[in-house]
Amino acid sequence: MQIFTIAIAVALGILIAWAIITKRMTWLEKIKSNFNTQAWVLIPIAIAINIAVGQIVLVLRLPVYLDSIGTVLVAVLCGPWAGALTGALSNIIWGIAIDPGALPWWPVAAMIGYMAGRMAQWGFFKSWWRVVVTGFVIALTAAVVGTPIAVYLFGGITASGSSFITAYLLETGRGIWESVLSTNFIAEPVDKITTAMVAFAIILGLPKRTIGGYPKPHQVEVEGGADRSQLYIAIGVIVLLVLFAAFMLRNILGG
Amino acid sequence: MQERLSFYIHRDSSLHRLNPLTKLTLVLALILVAFLSKWYWAPHLLTLFAVVPLSFVGRVSREFFWTASRLILPTATFLFVMQSLFHPIGEENIFEFYFLSATQESVLYAFRNAVRIIVMVSAFTLFLLTTHPSELMTDLTRRGLPGQFAYVIISTLQILPQMIAKSQTIISAQRSRGLDTESSALKRAGAIVPLVGPLVFGSLVEVEERAIAIEARGFTSKNKKTSLHEIPDTSFDKSLRLGLVFVVILTISLNLWLS
Repeated sequence: MQIFTIAIAVALGILIAWAIITKRMTWLEKIKSNFNTQAWVLIPIAIAINIAVGQIVLVLRLPVYLDSIGTVLVAVLCGPWAGALTGALSNIIWGIAIDPGALPWWPVAAMIGYMAGRMAQWGFFKSWWRVVVTGFVIALTAAVVGTPIAVYLFGGITASGSSFITAYLLETGRGIWESVLSTNFIAEPVDKITTAMVAFAIILGLPKRTIGGYPKPHQVEVEGGADRSQLYIAIGVIVLLVLFAAFMLRNILGG
Repeated sequence: MQERLSFYIHRDSSLHRLNPLTKLTLVLALILVAFLSKWYWAPHLLTLFAVVPLSFVGRVSREFFWTASRLILPTATFLFVMQSLFHPIGEENIFEFYFLSATQESVLYAFRNAVRIIVMVSAFTLFLLTTHPSELMTDLTRRGLPGQFAYVIISTLQILPQMIAKSQTIISAQRSRGLDTESSALKRAGAIVPLVGPLVFGSLVEVEERAIAIEARGFTSKNKKTSLHEIPDTSFDKSLRLGLVFVVILTISLNLWLS
């Protein structure tokens, strides 16, 4: 637990320092630069994609949800604030139209969009292996943001299937925060890395002319090079990330 | 997945006639009180004496109970069982079965938590049953919500049913071409691409056309827009909202005072 508190504090420190150093534009202008008419039109379609793809994946009975592909698409093409808005509205509309139980999770969805947009801004959406890293970072963010909601609102055990892992960890005598956080760290990465990779595949397939109409087309200028070797590097990165995650988990569970 | 996309049911009742913002305040007040109150029975009493009677006032009780039994109760029951078995509080076991055990404290804790969730979800369900989404959006836009937000929510609600119908068509079409969606996990994972691809590309093509169309209708115009449909906001609405805010503040201060 110690290590994690320190890691989160360091990450927050870097974010704040970055915000102060690069404060050239006012916040409002930065937010506004995320939206043009084409972005506003993309957002409802992206939300519908989130929900429809979520339903398709349900049919395939895979251990992933893939219900934030649209959010990641908007975040990458339009910017972090547009991504955050898409994520939040996705859950709110999911709540309005299909299942009111999805409502309380909107901060998680918003943070997924925000983080995807930031990673794209830093150039992490231009080749396969970078996209994998983006997916991993999104997963960590989602895990951290989701934990307090699960603990305060649901007392740790939510209605999702991964709660059985939480239950197991609680039964072996771990604290509630530790159990929920480790469950999220186990469940999220697979889902979010796949999401990021599917979003990247979609962007690769879109015509350049369409991408040019969105606010941030330069973020997805795919870096050239042999596609095949790129994919191998991506697989290598996945293996490294899995090892890293296993190491972190052992640290939380051991400490 | 039901064929109707919004929960809204058109009836004439005093709950339907309330201003949408008042109803939203009511829902949020119910949720905040249920979660913040230190008193153990607060969420239970709120369910019995606030949410359920309100469903009768709104004349949507049948639909309300149907939604509750289908969506809310299964989740709440699951939460109750899991938490009473696994929440690590209390000393004496009142129930034991191999490694499963429940203490009196954990059962009480789980019961309150489940009822809190019931209050949260059912209050929102009640709101959605008695408020049309476009009515809410019109009212909020009049109060200063940017029109773009209203556009996003209303047009998503329109696109969503089409999109879900389209995804069903794609699943059937690809299956009839021999796409494997049932066998091993690897094959099913491989089926993501031919199912998601057509859906996503098909809908992204429309974006540019739509953008031009709404731009031509003054979407980004900064002038004040007028509305054909006026939503009433009576003095009763205003005082009810004030009263609800007062109740929430009272709960929070009681909470601070007692701790």
